[in-house]
Amino acid sequence: MPHDLTRVGAERGEPEAGSVNTAGSLNNAVPVDDSAAALAGLDALDTPTVVQVPWWRRALRAGLPPLVAVLLFLAVWQALWASAIVSEIKIPAPITVWDSFAQILGSGEVWSVLWTSISRAFVGFLVAVALATPLGLLVARVQVVRSAIGPLLQGLQSLPSVAWVPAAVLWFGLTDATIYFVVLLGSIPSIANGLVAGIDQIPPILPRVGQVLGARGWTSARHILLPAALPGYLAGCKQGWAFSWRSLMAAEIIAAGPLLGVGLGALLKRGSDLNDMPTVIAAIFLILIVGIGIELLIFRPVERRVLRARGLALSS
Amino acid sequence: MTVTVEQRSQARTGEPAVQLSGVTKTFGHGPDAVTALRGVDLTVRPGEFVCLLGASGCGKSTLLNLVAGLDQPTAGEVGLNTSRPSFMFQEPALLPWLDAGRNVELPLQLNGVGRSARREQAKELLELVRLDGQSRKRPHELSGGMRQRVALARALAATTPPDAADPNGTATSGLLLMDEPFAALDAITRDVLQGELLRVWQATGTTVLFVTHDVREALRLAQRVVLLSSRPGTVVNEWDVEHAASELHNLYDEITASLREVITRHAA
Repeated sequence: MPHDLTRVGAERGEPEAGSVNTAGSLNNAVPVDDSAAALAGLDALDTPTVVQVPWWRRALRAGLPPLVAVLLFLAVWQALWASAIVSEIKIPAPITVWDSFAQILGSGEVWSVLWTSISRAFVGFLVAVALATPLGLLVARVQVVRSAIGPLLQGLQSLPSVAWVPAAVLWFGLTDATIYFVVLLGSIPSIANGLVAGIDQIPPILPRVGQVLGARGWTSARHILLPAALPGYLAGCKQGWAFSWRSLMAAEIIAAGPLLGVGLGALLKRGSDLNDMPTVIAAIFLILIVGIGIELLIFRPVERRVLRARGLALSS
Repeated sequence: MTVTVEQRSQARTGEPAVQLSGVTKTFGHGPDAVTALRGVDLTVRPGEFVCLLGASGCGKSTLLNLVAGLDQPTAGEVGLNTSRPSFMFQEPALLPWLDAGRNVELPLQLNGVGRSARREQAKELLELVRLDGQSRKRPHELSGGMRQRVALARALAATTPPDAADPNGTATSGLLLMDEPFAALDAITRDVLQGELLRVWQATGTTVLFVTHDVREALRLAQRVVLLSSRPGTVVNEWDVEHAASELHNLYDEITASLREVITRHAA
């Protein structure tokens, strides 16, 4: 202890009046070289190390398990069909479904069907984002609004959006308005709740830092609040997309009419009406593929980038 | 050496950087009211390094908040003669979505400094805390000590007035409020960073108000140590460390004894 304190006295050199900003005079006051080396050594020891995995191994690790799972699924399916326990009408052979799938793809109709559904889902989703974002901000930041509609927003998330279809048909008839109404009610709660959760999970120190650094009001929201809430918001958007796609399919299956273009849901319904199981299964696959595809192509990369930049997703 | 001491003393006889007179802060009303600070008088001269020492509940954080203008005193006055004060916390509290350089730039950006100017200034500040070439690293890629140094650079950026180029310091100096900034670090890192802080303080001439409950840390860093009592916080005593260099361990024993005494009063 005494040793420490004498060292302290020697080190706490007298700051010189003229020494401001000049490294030369600093050298006289403090043993700079020694402390610089100590600091450099400490930095080298303490810096987190990152292990680099080659890209092909990462691809193998990410791609192989789902591939094996799909092959297993196909094998079970084929075995089930070959055993002939269930009639051909209920479980067709994988190859029959593939033929039907190829026919749908080849006929050209599929592209207009896909376009109808995907464009509806996207327009619905974008409108939902535009409406849900201010709504989420209001619920998160204004206590009265939160008490008033927070629980409702939570509840709406667990309400299956297909429950809105009959009401929407009565209100808007068999038009696009019905479809969009259902899609919006399906996805807005998820996106708004995601944003609320994202804002709630901001560590309290960050807004305080913003305040100390001179950020007020909108500047604080733009530089601190919104970027800090981004991971939660993105998760909400991802879920919102899933709900929007689901709601759209529910609406398209139930509400079919001459005013409505043929989407994937209508295709599915048609196959079911005609007892055409291969078409039904092909339509289900298409719906699944679009849902997974959008998630993998758009949301996954964005989310991964955001999380990795913050050191939240270091693995894989 | 004597000459420089005189020069500094002269510089400090000018207007105080921080002046608290009769500052009282009460939270709540009626019977539930808690008085965090009572009648605190404190004067900090420009460029001075003052440690506030106290046990839990001495209202250290409340006092810093008052000086930073984040809160208003119930009674008394807080006077500042510095550029905007900046804060450093126990956690680095860096924004995880910005790299080190952008974290340092943020306060400059919020103060309306242009892009190239603030980039240049951030680079200089990172060099000052010996993080040259680390400005593209994200907080999670840095060690705890490095993060805290980025936080120091950011705090310096926040308190540097836009026209700080004037080396004579005739303009108002910066004010750094530090709330136990090294308490969460391991002993070795803390030791090195204390030395770094002294070096940076000497290089920049910033006024520092540093809160700690570590007597040794206070003695190592401060020119003056101010002891606060707990619940409510009042100034109990203060020691001039700078001019007592020959008897530092006596001072250590004395201050520790005073701190013990303050704590013991709460035993009953």
